[in-house]
Amino acid sequence: MSLTLLKSLLLHKDKLWSIDCAKGLAATASSDRKIKLVNLRNLDFKEVEELDDNTHKKSVRSVAFRPHSSILAAGSFDSTISIWGREDSNDLQDSQETELLAIIEGHENEVKSVAWSPSGEFLASCSRDKSVWIWEADELGEEFECLSVLQEHSQDVKHVTWHPQINLLASSSYDDTVRLWKEEEDDWECAAVLTGHEGTVWCSDFENSDAPLRIVTCSDDSTVRVWKHVEDSEDGEDVWVQESILPQMHTRAVYSVSWSPDGYIASTGSDGVLAIYKESEQGKWEVVAQHSEAHRVFEVNVVKWTKINGEHILLSGADDGSVNVWKFSA
Amino acid sequence: MSEFINENPDVLDENLLPSRMKDKTDLVWDNDLTTGNRGRRKQLISIHRSADSQVYRSVELVDRLLAHEMLLGNEKDVAVVTEARIDEYEVEEDEDPIDAQEIYDLIAYISDPEHPLTLGQLAVVNLPDIEVHENTDKSKISEVVVKITPTITHCSLATLIGLGIRVRLERALPARYRITILLKQGSHQSENQVNKQLNDKERIAAACENDQLLGVVSKMLSSCK
Repeated sequence: MSLTLLKSLLLHKDKLWSIDCAKGLAATASSDRKIKLVNLRNLDFKEVEELDDNTHKKSVRSVAFRPHSSILAAGSFDSTISIWGREDSNDLQDSQETELLAIIEGHENEVKSVAWSPSGEFLASCSRDKSVWIWEADELGEEFECLSVLQEHSQDVKHVTWHPQINLLASSSYDDTVRLWKEEEDDWECAAVLTGHEGTVWCSDFENSDAPLRIVTCSDDSTVRVWKHVEDSEDGEDVWVQESILPQMHTRAVYSVSWSPDGYIASTGSDGVLAIYKESEQGKWEVVAQHSEAHRVFEVNVVKWTKINGEHILLSGADDGSVNVWKFSA
Repeated sequence: MSEFINENPDVLDENLLPSRMKDKTDLVWDNDLTTGNRGRRKQLISIHRSADSQVYRSVELVDRLLAHEMLLGNEKDVAVVTEARIDEYEVEEDEDPIDAQEIYDLIAYISDPEHPLTLGQLAVVNLPDIEVHENTDKSKISEVVVKITPTITHCSLATLIGLGIRVRLERALPARYRITILLKQGSHQSENQVNKQLNDKERIAAACENDQLLGVVSKMLSSCK
């Protein structure tokens, strides 16, 4: 199995924090306060658009495409979330502009992550203010109603992500835990707390499978772990256990993990290593590809799987503002 | 900050801080002799200005002896200075070496947020507590570890001091250096908490976008050489 660098794109003038992909487009967020869109359908990976950079007053930390639409959410250190929309079109070359649809305020300080539920109905956001907010969005992406403010983390919440099929939310925190949340009779409740990491949990990603439910997490403690749902219990707390610690590939903080629909896990972080793991048998993982200095000497903040024309494509983004596009051949 | 958190810190004389920028004996000779000595020296030199003069040479000899005597009182410092100087010669072949002394020079002159003194003078930053793990291959990652010693164990400014050091090093060092800043073991009540914050890149990035905080840090860094 091999990992080949297809192209390196220098998109931003400062740290690139986040990447999301949908419909052949990649969106990137950076400390230079810009959001950029890149066309992934052609091998030249051209930048399509730069969104209005006067919108956010500080770093853009996170971007997320809304499923089943052409709407993008972006969370910023300026404590707001911006919502963007563009006409659906197969021709990305035409110079249509993405428009600002809404600005959502509510968090006390830096928004660190935003994520849409699989149906696109809910938007989750989290912040240094220790809370996770769940918003209900109208179809146009212009009206947002806050349904719930979840305040059970004891420290900053670094990242939120939804299960790709069901309304199950995971939040990762500076308090070293991951909390799982689900809807219970019109309210959102903590369904489980995953404890075991010995440092900030930076990111998590669910496996695209509904039974058993599994999630991968990565941490400042330099480990990557997989957790498994065992059973629902009657008092509302579900039972989750740590199933495996993946082979130790990192020597410093691991900032990002991504679980591909085909079952491969990718991880990256401060040491600049990009690693790909495959499950050889239930709960046993092996490294099938790796690349050190994936972005030269820079820290790598994010890794994201996508599929283009049937190929496994991996995108990574780093402190020098660059995105690397990798082809993974299984 | 109207009230000092530590009103009476121990202070090192700036001239006695480890350095390779100037020769130690010159420093002592130039600055540390008493006014009386200096006056007498001037008087003696004025008798005969020629460098060959016996008088001039005697004065110089006396000054050097005095200088050494003063340095002996601080043997540890001398050892550190010597070590740093040897390092310097060993790596001179390399175009751009970074060693502990260079890191020290970058951060020792940062001002303390509450005293009109530098972190070097307050011994918050000390040369033996700086480690550099240099990878000779410049396309690979190198590491710098700085351990700081707050002046008192409950110093609430420890995080701010650490932030100042990090900002200074991130601005000055090439991107290949990963910087770790830790409180020296046992030097602070909330050691782990402060360490975690000082090494969280996201919090640091956010702090650097906080104008008020950045103003304080800039002021701390304005005394850097």
